[in-house]
This record gives sequence, C-alpha cells and structure tokens, in this order.
Amino acid sequence: MSPAPTLDIQIQPPPNGDLNHVGQQKSQKQMTKAERRELQEKQRAAKAAAKGGTANGINGKAPNNVKQGPTPSTSNAPAPKKGAKAPETPIRPRSQSVSRKDMKAASAAIPDASMEKARGLRIFAHFGLPKPVSAAKGEIHPTIVRLALQFANFKIAGANARCIATLTAFKTVIQDYTTPPNTTLSRHLMTHLSPQISHLVAARPMSVTMGNAIRQLKLEISGSDIDLPEQDAKDALCLKIDNYIRDRIIIAGQVIQETAGSKIKDGDVILTYARSSIVEKVLLGAHEDGRDFSVIVVDSRPMLEGKRLLSVLSTAGIQCTYLLLPALGSVINEVSMVLVGAHSIHSNGSVFSRAGTALVAMIAKQHSVPVVVCCETYKYSEGVQLDSFTKNELAPIGDLFSSFPLTKPREALTLENRPNLEILNPLYDLTPPTSITAVVTEVGVIPPNSISSIPVALGRLL
Amino acid sequence: MAGSQENADSDVCATYQRIIQDEQLSPPLAAILTLTESIVKSNAGTMFELVQALNDAAKVLKKQIPNSISLNAGCELFIAFVTLFPHESDSFAELKTELVQQGQKYAAEAISFRDKIAEATLGFIKDDSVILTHSYSRVVMKALLHAHKTKRISVFVTEARPRGLGLKTHEALTAAGIPCTVVLDSAVAYVMDRVDFVMVGSEAVVESGGLINAVGSNQMAIIAKAANKPFYALAESYKFHRLFPLSQYDLPTHNPTILSFAALQRRPTPPDKFSHDTVASGQSVARDGISETGIAPPPTEMKMTTEQMSRNPSVDYTRPDLISLVFSDVGILTPEGVSQYLVGMFAG
Repeated sequence: MSPAPTLDIQIQPPPNGDLNHVGQQKSQKQMTKAERRELQEKQRAAKAAAKGGTANGINGKAPNNVKQGPTPSTSNAPAPKKGAKAPETPIRPRSQSVSRKDMKAASAAIPDASMEKARGLRIFAHFGLPKPVSAAKGEIHPTIVRLALQFANFKIAGANARCIATLTAFKTVIQDYTTPPNTTLSRHLMTHLSPQISHLVAARPMSVTMGNAIRQLKLEISGSDIDLPEQDAKDALCLKIDNYIRDRIIIAGQVIQETAGSKIKDGDVILTYARSSIVEKVLLGAHEDGRDFSVIVVDSRPMLEGKRLLSVLSTAGIQCTYLLLPALGSVINEVSMVLVGAHSIHSNGSVFSRAGTALVAMIAKQHSVPVVVCCETYKYSEGVQLDSFTKNELAPIGDLFSSFPLTKPREALTLENRPNLEILNPLYDLTPPTSITAVVTEVGVIPPNSISSIPVALGRLL
Repeated sequence: MAGSQENADSDVCATYQRIIQDEQLSPPLAAILTLTESIVKSNAGTMFELVQALNDAAKVLKKQIPNSISLNAGCELFIAFVTLFPHESDSFAELKTELVQQGQKYAAEAISFRDKIAEATLGFIKDDSVILTHSYSRVVMKALLHAHKTKRISVFVTEARPRGLGLKTHEALTAAGIPCTVVLDSAVAYVMDRVDFVMVGSEAVVESGGLINAVGSNQMAIIAKAANKPFYALAESYKFHRLFPLSQYDLPTHNPTILSFAALQRRPTPPDKFSHDTVASGQSVARDGISETGIAPPPTEMKMTTEQMSRNPSVDYTRPDLISLVFSDVGILTPEGVSQYLVGMFAG
C-alpha cells in the first residue's frame, strides 16, 4: 500500500491549533466552494496526523465538521488522497450526535478509512490502542469512571495494580447497588456490573488478571444465597473480594518473595527488566534479609519504567546499575540470575510480559544465565498464545525525555505520528518457554513446561 | 536443658547411622525410619508439637550428615505425610502408633520399588545391549542383574572418583557373570560411541525434572546428548525432591569451599612446591624410560590431597533437557512428567 500523500504534510497544521481552525471555519461559512474544500482538506490532513488515538478534541469538533461540508460528496471527493480519509474512523464511533445521514456516509468510507488508519503498518491495526474514555452508556458508577480514566492514562498500569483497583472499585459499586424489585441480587447484580466492566475494557483491554478475578466474582455472585438479606449478601460478596485480593495477590506475593528471595545468594548479580511490583518486593526482601547482592536494572523506551524501580532500590541501599536494552549484551556475562515479572502466563509455559522481556530472556538463555519469572497463579491463562502479534496492546506514545507516568496530555505527544510515519510501541511480548528456566509461583517453583499443572495444584489448594 | 537437647541430637544421628548400615536401605528410607523412631521416643502431646519435633530431628540430620539431599527428600516426604495424615483416632498415643506403623510399612514396601523399576527398564534393554553406567547405584544394579536373567548385556562403568564406587559395581557385575569394564571418568566421551544407552541411578530427582547424582553424571549426560544416546535415570519415588536448582551452585550441597582457590599465602612458600614439582617430573622421566605404551599407575606424589579433594563437589545437577526418561515405581516418566507429578504431589 502506498504511503499517504506528501502534500498533506506540508500544509499540516499542528494538532494543537485544531481548535482555532474550527473557529475560523465557522466564521468563514460564506467562502466559495473551492475555498471551503481546500480548507476542509487541510483540516482533514491535520486530523489524519492526529490519528485515531487523539482524544476529546476531535470528539467535540466532529459535529461541526460534518455539518459544514456537503457530506457524502466531499467524503468521496478526496478519495485519491488516501491519507486524508483517516479522520472518519475515529469520529464515527464516538460522536453520538452525528445525524443518521452522516453516519451512512461515514460507514460508506469505513473499508477505505480503516485501511488508511493503519497506513504502512496496517498489519498492526488490531493492537488495542490507548484510547480516550468514550461517553458512558447506561449507568456507570463514578468510581468506575474515575478508574477507567486512570487506566486510559496509564496512571494504574501493572497487572496486579489494575486487578486490585478493579476489585476495590467493584466493592464500592456493589455496596451502592440496590436490587430492583421483582428480581434477586444473584440474578441481577451481574447485569448491573456488566456495563461497568465494558466501560473499563473500553478504556484499556482487559488484563488476564482482571479477567480471572471477574470470572471468580461472577461465580460468587451467581452462587450467593437468594434468601440472604440484601445487605448481608453484599457484605458477603465484599468479603469474598477482600479474601481474593488477600489470598491470590497479597499472600501469594509474600510466598513468592520468600521463595524467589532464597534463590538470591551473597555476591549475586541480579538482572531485571523494566519494573515489576513482585520483583521489587523480592529484591527488597532479600536485601532486608541481609543478602549482599547487586542489581542491574535494564530499561527501555518509551515508558522507562525501570527508573522507578531504580529509585526504590537505590533508596533502600541496594547497589544498582541502570542501563538500556541495547547495552544488555555487554553486561550479561556478569549476571548470575535474571528475575522478571509477568503480565500473564499461558498453559504452554510462555510468559506474556512487558515488551523487551523476551529479548532479555533469550539473551540470558544464550549465555546460560537462569531466567526466573515471578508470577502469581491468578495470572494463569488457560489459553495458548504463540506469538506477541495476534494479541497485544500499544503503549502510550512516550515523550523521549518525559518520565512515566505521562506528564503531558496525550494529544501533545501524538505530534510524533506523521502521515508517513507510524510509531509502533507494542506494550507486551511473549517469552517462549524454552528461554525460561523456572517460574516462581506461590505453589512452588515450576519449570515452564509444567505450567499446565497449575490448576491441579490449585485444585488441591481450594 | 541444653545438654539433653544435645543428647537427643546425637541420638537421632546414632539411630540414622545404625539404620543406614542396612545394605538395602537408601538415605531417604533410613531418614523415614529414623523419624518414625523419633516419633516413638518423643513425648509430644499434640500434632503441632509432633510436627515440630520431627522438623527439629530432620534439621539435625541435615546438619550432621554430609550430602543431605536425598536424606532431606525422605524427611520432607514423611513430614508431609504426617501433617496430612487424617487423625481419626481417639487418643494421640494411638495416632502416634498408627503413624509409626505407617512409616515402617512404607519403608518395607519401598524396598520392592527397585524390583518394579527393574521390571520397567527390561523393555528398554535389548539383547546384546552395551550399557554405560556411573558409580554404584542399588537400583541400577538391580535393573542390570534382572536384565541379565533374560538378555545378554555388557556394561561399562566409570571409576567415579573420588570414592571409586565404580569398582564396587564392577566387582558385583563380574561376580554375576556380566561382562564389565571399568573406564576412567575422563574416558566417558571415548566410550560413548560404543554404548547403546546410559543408565544412572540418582541421589534425588528434582522439581525441574532434573537429576542430582554423584558428580560426573552431568558430563555423562552432556556427552550422551551430543552423541545422541538415550540417557536414562532410575529413581524410586521417595527420591523425588521438592527442590529447584537453577544451576550447579544453587544445590544445597554447594558451599564456599567447593571450587574455591587456595589461599594466597600458600604462594610465597616456593621450596615446598618446588621440591614437589621436581619429584613429580623426575617420576615422569623415569616412567618414560620404562614404557611408552602402557599407562603406568600414577605415582603417589600425584594424588590429590584431602585439602584439594575438599574443593570438589560430591554431587552435580543434570538439566532435564539432557535426560531421556526417568524410570520410577510410579511409572516411566519424561522429565516434564516428573515435574508435573511433583507439583501435584506437594501442592497444598
């Protein structure tokens, strides 16, 4: 597919200026048709640059834009200019005020438009984009709305953090819920929770941890006693949620901290990648136990999460080295163990984790350095994933020098995307089981090829 | 109080030493029997106290007995059994006798595990097989002698320094009429192309599916892999151990002395070393004069000192990907199967 036309780039106004343009256009309704078209094309090009990810700016502007031009004809007119059509797609699902006629026009443009959106990297179009929170459908609890915003802005990013935050928010939702007449809590509560869940998922694709926790919650809700007074049933559910957080996340973390910590010996050099809450705990725990070791924190753009780990570890008094991924090769020979966290773990033993982990694991394997993954069993996913391509997310596009979490609004950062330049930042990658030595879980240290026996182990636990 | 504690400690060790005298019993079984005896002797009044007493006894054994890995496997197995034992008996004394009986019954049954394994290996030993084994292992001996009844086999066995237990294997096999040759530990690669498969016993089988065995097994497995020969490990199920070594140095037997370099202050004493060297070179000159072809026995001066010996490991760890199959009384397992069995066995 040919890249977008170059002319658009030259006339492309900065997206920040979009609002001004809108204002101008409104005031210039009396222009000639040709002038108007030219202006509109400019505007479209600007939005093409701003692309799908851009937020409410487009959202608010959309109706104006649509109202202005003779919609069906103009949207076909710039057909040869492929890049120009991109904006249609982001507009379509979001703006609810678009008239039916406009909708038709937009949908006519879909096949073309969705192709355009991906430009040169069309094959990555399916990756979940970090997207702004859409307008709420149905009753969304304020806590959920806030949480969705935090998810979308990567204020809460880790698998554990997201799961705990979700469950805690659900506790509030459950407490504020009243069963409507002529139905029971066990049958109706889930229909009340479903839109909340989809609202969260709209903000960011659901993590495996959240999926597992929500499945458990559904099970508990459907199993709750019909005859129980409402408040008691709600309290019981909240208790179940608390127990889940305690048993599967907090206590599991402590057990892993102990087990993995015992693998750290005096004089060891531990290498870790990016930042995992559980790895942080393991390292701090081993340090508290008086083990004398040093840590190499490997990090990479765009999120530079390792910086935070670095500051925590060095504050605790652990000797640290910080380097970026390209420098890994020069230090790997000094490393005695690689310790990484996980987003989820699959039944074939592959580990889905922050993009770059696979690279670290493979290099370590090549140098016979043991690779140990710390992972609670609730991150276990029955599914099998064969590559990091079929399912992935896109990381927020980070500024080169900004720290994480993002300090600038995301719209400002999308500046880096240009019509013939697409920035691709997959959030996760898949580490094959062959490059993993062991997975430390709360049920013990398990070799990756026996991960499928986790449910067996848990069956005994429950 | 401290005195009585010490007394009890030495008592546990003495019991263990007495039990291990039995040629048939391997360390894990001896450990189980020792612990059953300590149940008999203990005056614990509750389950909690009993388990604690057992843990203490196990700790003492681990500390006092060198090379504690397989012993530890037995202790863990028995303590897990005691903890999970359903106590339906009315009185605690009854429960205790019940536990002791169960322990002894298990140990008695466990002796027959080796026959089961020997039977299992039979299908993998073809007539006219040439087998390479390492050191001395009761279960391998049983398997070889069992196979000898129906099939013609010949065996290469390594010398297995420093304890030289390979000679023991050689003696027993020759006595049984099996052709057997002792090879040097350093000749494993030389002999590998002539053998059909490698069969070794084990100190413990660990959670990764790997193997802990007398030092030299690992290199044997690596060479077998390189030569595409199957590497079979024989292990009774009480040797399955909940341990996950990440490397050789992650084994519980590893200590700072192993592989350490001699202290530097030894260097500035050249006279001693110098005279040592001259003696050695003198010897070699003399030997060269005598014969070029035959390998003369090493002169006594060339032997390793005890101090040098102590810098060497007694066991090593073999990675699961080097092992073809693990034969045990619970079945013939792949290394992955072992780890799945272990995860299932010890979970919860």
